[in-house]
Order: sequence, then C-alpha cells, then structure tokens
Amino acid sequence: MNSQAGVAADVAMTIDRPVAARTINGRSKALLKSVFREDRFFLILSVFIGIYSGLAVVCFRFAIGWCRLYLLGTGAVLSPTRLLLAPTLAGLVIAVLVIHVFPLARGSGVNQTKAALYIYNGFIPFRTAIGKFITAALAIGSGHSLGPEDPSLQIGACIASVMGRQMRLSRDRMRLIAPVGAAAGLAAAFNAPISAVLFVIEEVIGRWTAGILGSVVLSAVSSVVVMRWFLGSESLFRIPAVQMERPSELIAYAILGIVGGVASVAFSMGIATLRPKFKALPLWTQYFQPGLAGLLIGIIAWLGAPQVMGAGYEAMDEAMHGRFTWQFLAVLAGLKIVATLLSFVSGTPGGMFAPTLFIGAMLGAAVGGAEHAVLPHLSGSPGTYALVGMGVLFAGFLRAPMTSVFMVLEVSGNYSIILPVIVANTIAYVISRGLQPIPIFDALTRQDGLELPSMEEQREEGILRVEDAMRPVEGPVLDAQQTVEQALQTSEASSAEGFLVRLSPSGWNVVTKQQLRKMKEERKGEASLGSQLPILQIPVLHPDHPLEMALRYVERWPLLPVVSRADFRQLEGVITERDVLERYREFGES
Amino acid sequence: MLATQEPKTSAARRMDLRLYIKQQPVMLALLAVFGVLFFLGVAGLSRAYHAQRDALGNRWFNRGVEDLRTRRYDRAVTEFRSALLFSRDNYDYQLNLAEALIGLGQTNESYSYLVNLWEREPENGLVNLELARIAAQRGQTEQAQRYYHNAIYAVWPGDQEAKRRETRLELIEYLLSINAKAQAQAELIALEENLGEDPALQRDVGDLFLRAQDYEHALAAYRVSLKLDRHNAAALAGAGWAAFQLGRYSPAERYLQAAVTENRNDAQSAERLKTTQLVLRMDPFRLQISAVERARIVVEAFASAGRRLSSCATPKSSAEATALQPSLADDWAKMKPRISEQELRRNPDLVEQAMGLVFEIERQTSATCGTATGEDLALLLISKLHEGN
Repeated sequence: MNSQAGVAADVAMTIDRPVAARTINGRSKALLKSVFREDRFFLILSVFIGIYSGLAVVCFRFAIGWCRLYLLGTGAVLSPTRLLLAPTLAGLVIAVLVIHVFPLARGSGVNQTKAALYIYNGFIPFRTAIGKFITAALAIGSGHSLGPEDPSLQIGACIASVMGRQMRLSRDRMRLIAPVGAAAGLAAAFNAPISAVLFVIEEVIGRWTAGILGSVVLSAVSSVVVMRWFLGSESLFRIPAVQMERPSELIAYAILGIVGGVASVAFSMGIATLRPKFKALPLWTQYFQPGLAGLLIGIIAWLGAPQVMGAGYEAMDEAMHGRFTWQFLAVLAGLKIVATLLSFVSGTPGGMFAPTLFIGAMLGAAVGGAEHAVLPHLSGSPGTYALVGMGVLFAGFLRAPMTSVFMVLEVSGNYSIILPVIVANTIAYVISRGLQPIPIFDALTRQDGLELPSMEEQREEGILRVEDAMRPVEGPVLDAQQTVEQALQTSEASSAEGFLVRLSPSGWNVVTKQQLRKMKEERKGEASLGSQLPILQIPVLHPDHPLEMALRYVERWPLLPVVSRADFRQLEGVITERDVLERYREFGES
Repeated sequence: MLATQEPKTSAARRMDLRLYIKQQPVMLALLAVFGVLFFLGVAGLSRAYHAQRDALGNRWFNRGVEDLRTRRYDRAVTEFRSALLFSRDNYDYQLNLAEALIGLGQTNESYSYLVNLWEREPENGLVNLELARIAAQRGQTEQAQRYYHNAIYAVWPGDQEAKRRETRLELIEYLLSINAKAQAQAELIALEENLGEDPALQRDVGDLFLRAQDYEHALAAYRVSLKLDRHNAAALAGAGWAAFQLGRYSPAERYLQAAVTENRNDAQSAERLKTTQLVLRMDPFRLQISAVERARIVVEAFASAGRRLSSCATPKSSAEATALQPSLADDWAKMKPRISEQELRRNPDLVEQAMGLVFEIERQTSATCGTATGEDLALLLISKLHEGN
C-alpha cells in the first residue's frame, strides 16, 4: 500500500478550523482518504483505462474495416488491379509515415509494451498510439498480412500510460500501468478477457499478485464490455460441439501438435533470420520495403490465394466450414508464412497474433483433412482441427501455453474442445522450445538491442532449495533438559563447534562449544541448558524451502536445523552459511 | 546540510500529497466526462459503420437470393460470401449460402454451415430439413431420420402445416427408398391424421400406402379421395389395385372398370381388370354359382393347368422344373380321365381334389417357370385367395 495518500489525509486533518467544520471535513477527508489510497485509486483508474482502450480498439476496428472497403473493394472476389495496387501504395505511404512521423509505430507492439514496463518506467508517448492506429489500420486494411491484436494491445498500453502520467502515479504504479492497458487492448481486440489477462501475466508482467491481477482483470473486463456494446458479443468462431468417439482419436491431434510445432519453429526462425537482414539494408531501401512486400503479397493474392491478405478471419471461418481441400489449406498455410514474413520484416506496423492463428487454422484443417482421407472414421470436423491448430501455433510460435488453451476456448465459446487443445498445444510447445530455445519476442527484443526479461526463461529457471544445500547432522544433538555440564561433556567429545539443542515440547535452538565453556566458567554448570540459552528458539527450515529463505537466517546462526514438515522434532539435516554460499557458487559455475 | 533539507522535503511532500488528494477526484470527474464524450463519438461512428455494412451486406444478399431463385448457384455462392464479409455471423446469410452450396453440390461445406446454424437454432425447420437431406445422401440413416423428425416438429415460416406435411412426405419417400416399409407405414398413418379433405393429397397418400404395401390404408385413402372426386382416374386405378392386392376382386373390378372408362390409355389398369375378371370367372369356390357352372370351371381350370405343365416341360425350362414335373405330370395324367363335368357334379370331393392339384401345379410352375399370366395368373391368385381353407 502507498502511504502517501494516508499521510496526506492525516496532514489535512490537522489543519486548524472550527470544531464542527473540522468534524465534517474530517469525515469527508477520511472518506477521500479511504477511496483515494493509491492502490484503490489504481483499481478505479483501471476501469477507465479499460473503457478508453475498448473505445479506441472499436475505432481501430472501424478504421481497418473502412480501409479494407475503400482500398480493396466490397466483394469477396477482388479486382486484380486493387489486389496489386492497394498493398503496394499503402506500403509506400506507411514507410514514409513510419520513417518520418511515427518511428515508434514499427513492429507488433508487444515488446514495446514490455520495454515500457522494464525500461521506461511505464512511459509510452501518445504519438505512438496515434501512429500505430493509422499505420496498422492502413496496412491491415490494404491487405498486408498482419493482425490488429498486437497494435490494439499497444494502443491500450499507450492510453494507460498517458492516463497514469496525468494522474501523477508513483513510479511503481506507472511501471504496471502499461500492462494494465495492454490487457484491455488485447481483450477488446480478441473479445477474450481471460486470454488477455493470462497473456499479459504470462508474457509481459511474469508474476501474479492480487494487486496487479485485480487491475488487469478490471481493465480487460471493462474494455470487453465496451467492445461488445458496439461490435456484438458473438464468439469469433463457431464450431459444433466436439464429441470424440474414442480416446485414440487424441493421437490425430497429437500429430497436429507435432506438425504445428515444426511450423512454429520455421515461422519464428524465418522472422528471426530475415528481420536483421532487412534492417541492415541501406536506409533508402526502407522507403520501399513495405511497398515491395505489399506488391509481393498482391501477386500471391492475384495468383489465386487472396485469403492470405489482411488478418484473414474470413478465410479462417471458411476453412472451418470445410470450404477448401486439405492440399489447398496446406498451401495457404505456407503462403501465409511467406506473406507475414514479408510484411513483418519489411517494418510494416501490425500484429502477429492473427497471422499466427491463420497459419494454425489452415495447418490444422489441412492435417485434419489429410487424416480424414486416411482414416475416414475420425469424428473431428474441419472446424475442430482448425481451432486446435490455432492453439497449436499460438503455443508454439508465441510460446504462451496457458494463454493458447484459454484463447481457443474463448474465441470458440466451446469447452468440449479442451482435451485435443491441451494435448496438441503441449506437444507443439515442447517441440518449439526444443528446436528454438529463444522465443520469438525475446529474439526480436535482443535484435533491437534491448535486454528485457524473458518470461519463459524465468519460468524455466531452476530453483535452488534448502535440500540442495543441507547436509546430514554430524555432531550430537543436545537436549534442553540436560545440564550445562552434561552438554559440555557431550560437546567436548565431538569435533564440531556448533550444536543443535532440541527444546521441549518442541522447537530448536543452537549453542556453540565456546558458549558452553563460558557458562561453566560462570558457574552455571548445574543449570539446565534450556534455561541458559540467550534466546527462546531459532528459526527452522524445511527441505523444500527456497535456498533464498535460508540465506536470510544463516548469517545470524552458526547452523540451522532442517526439519520435517510432518514432525518438527524430526531432524532432516542442518545448514550453515558456508553450505548455502557453496551451493550458490556451484550453481553459478554450472 | 541534512538537517536543513529534511523539513523542506517533508513540506514539499505534504504539499504534493494535498495536491494528490485534491487532484484525484477532479481528474476522475474529467476522465468520466471525456469518457462519455468519447463514448458518444464512437456511438455515432458505430452507427455510420454498421449502417454502411448492413447496406452493403443486404445488397449482396439480395443479389444472392435472386440468383439462388434462378438456380445460378455459383454466382449466388459468391454473393452470399460477399454478404458474409459484412456480417459474418448473420443467420440468413449463412443459411442461404448453405442452400446455394447444396445447389452447387458442395455438401461438405454446406453441412458445416448448417450444423453451426442448427446449434444456434435447433428448432429451425429448413436447417433440419437440409441436414436431413445431406445425411440421407451420405447414407447416415439414423441422423437423417432424426433431422427429418426435427424438421416435422420445427418452426416454419408461412404455412407451417403445409411445410410439415411436405417434410413428412419427403421422409416417407426416403424411408421407402431405403425399404424401411414399416417406418414408412407409421409415418403415413401419422400423416393421414392431419391430411384434411384434399383429393389429390389423399390420392398421393394412397399411392404411398401402396408402395409401403399397406393396402388396407391405401384403399381407405383412395376412397376418401374418390368421395371428394369420384371421377379421378388415378384414384380409381389405385383403389382398384389396392382392392386387388387385398383379394377383394369384386370391388377391384368395379374400380378398375371405372378407371379404364375414365382413362382409356391406362393399359396397366386394363391388364389388371382383365386378370380380375378372370379371377372372378375362374373361381369355382365362389358362392351363388350352380353345380353345372362349378363343374365347367373346374374342367377349364384343369385343362389350363395341364397346358401350363406341358409348356413348362419344354427343353427351354430349367433343370429344376423338369425334375419336379414327373410327379405333377403323373398326378395330372392319373386324374385326367376322371375330370368331366358329369363326374364333378356327382362327386364334390373330386372338385376339391382337382382344384388342389391345379393350385399345386400353378404354384410350382410359377416358382420354377417364371411369372404366370392370363388364366394361370388368375388360378394362382385364386389359390392364394383360398389358401387358408
């Protein structure tokens, strides 16, 4: 809790005034004090962030819709001229805007939000949001193979950052405000509050605390409410309930997990390899890179695959309804990877979420179709495989395993799909981690010269525990009921310097040989050992405690007991400062 | 230095905190005001956006409906897809797209749309009917019947009863096509209850009962139809055939005679009439005929059976036929000298014996030497008529 507001209220209450007025003022100020404590105020602010972000995302969606309408036309069949010209010309305009007006609008937006949290104390210039809004709407609307989710996330984060600055929040709160806005933006873009909250916790903040969670949830929920007000509450995709006739059908989804894992690696390696090469090209080429990417995407569309243009939600829907053959679906997945690589590495602003879902949906439906051709009795529909495929790519490419599961459930509103999703996503995630150790967002951050904490690395980091450093009890264990004389005799027979003392009825203490000798010199030899010990008892540790916890105490005590959780009198081992430091040293070397 | 700085910092902090307390409510109030204004602005934009999209979607949809009506399915599909760009979740757009896809023969894609639509509105008649048709095409009998039944009890726009009736008729046709006659009969009985007084419909139901081999109900349906339109040649023919199948040759003759009179080109009814008349003429067991007449019929039937036996014994006949002939031929040859009108008049038991042999010959020869015709067919039918006696 922040004490600032509390102190301020106290100060305000001491102002000298007539008693009656002071009583009324005192009450209202006490109320203000309780409402405007910074942690509570932060929660209220989160709701406003959600509302503003939701409204901004709705406008963003309108902008994309209008751009698509006026640049590509109104029909499902697009004219070849528009197919070639719209993304090319839009690319040229975007390049000028990004180079001269909105340089921070490049990229997807996820890393910029993370950077705001870890480097810039929550600061994101408002200009970035405007730039992202205009350039991403133009790019997606004109057919560049990018999605609206990551830009929405960044727009939300930016709105939150501006609000936080205006409210003069403390530095701690300012750091957290960008993820709160990010959750709001993402939730509105996906119509999926749980996934947005999970993604922000899993990939941006990396930790769970009640304070953060409350704000993130409130902002996500309020933005989704706003979004649904204007755009409706229907799920993004509809598929019939999945009824697996036999458990062995999960193998079919496991195969999809394997294929998706490999595709994720290919996609992320493509981006990680090509992006620095494109960035290293002379500056003047950057004026033409988005335009050229647009032209190539237009050519792909003109040659027969217009589905790869834009976010591609319509094509995903059609794939789920079994419009395409499995061979064509596989081709579409491949072409989308190429188109997204072109758009993203050319520096065109836009998100990776929608293309990832597209590739996953096409790959899923293709694998499902191929499996059905071989084993016609499989019960899954193309829609089921496409949805599972979305989750697979999300888990494999974006490396957000928890989010990937909930995202599929939320965008389909269908819980019956959970088992195939968990199986396939886990396999894809494991394969992707095995083949490409650095997640794509971390790779992009490092390419930009930033060193942001990797949430996956943090999750995977090994934790040292007390049991890793403790050692068996060497010397005798003394009893508090013994006399000092008896205890000294026992200790003299041992080479150890420090001894544990078992207290009655429970608890532990410690005494050194030197202390015992001193007690004897002070003629306390006949007194019970327990009565002569300077403090009541020392802290105990359990084998599963983190080693960090031992570090807090070992400096003050020559040795600490490690006891069983089931029976505090049962000694499992002992630990000293030297043991702890030695273990850390070994860990550092390994 | 430190001592002088401390009070300043503290004062500055207090000032900041006071400002903080005073600023927050004001800022929140401002945020709320701007929020309302922003909301109103977005609401305006939203109205314009949705109005434009609805208009565009409807334009494509109307074109699609027109093309669907004129069976230009490929164009209709493209137009409905375009309409869906503007309202991906629109029920009517999806339903019409599904229908156009069925027209185009793309049942898999159509099925996906229909299943989703069914999950949204399980009581929609058209969706259930289309799903039933697809399931029937795929040979998924149980699913097809389930969807047909859903469609029968579903909500339909317009004349609900007529739609339900049509759907049940379609289900009956389907059941007959898969030879599920008992289920078809049950559906027909359910249908009959709600038919009303439409002669054409009653006749159709009679036809379906005939196909389901429920001749009693068929005859009843034709009778209702004829009560309303007594000159309906098709109903007369159907009633005649139903009565014929029931072995009620007298009414069958009456109906068939009337059918032939109403429609001179009805060769099938004429043929059936001929057979019916033969049955009526050649039945020696019918009541109200004299002993002389009975003896004459038996002699004629015996001779006819002998001819059938001889024709069946030609070299063209099957091996089975030639194998069974010796015993029947012997029996026939042994009995022949006794078969005369006088002897038959004198010995009524001989009538029974002779006709017993005639029926046996007709049954066996029809089983081995092909379908009987003319007098042989009549004798076979008479044998069936008296099978229980």
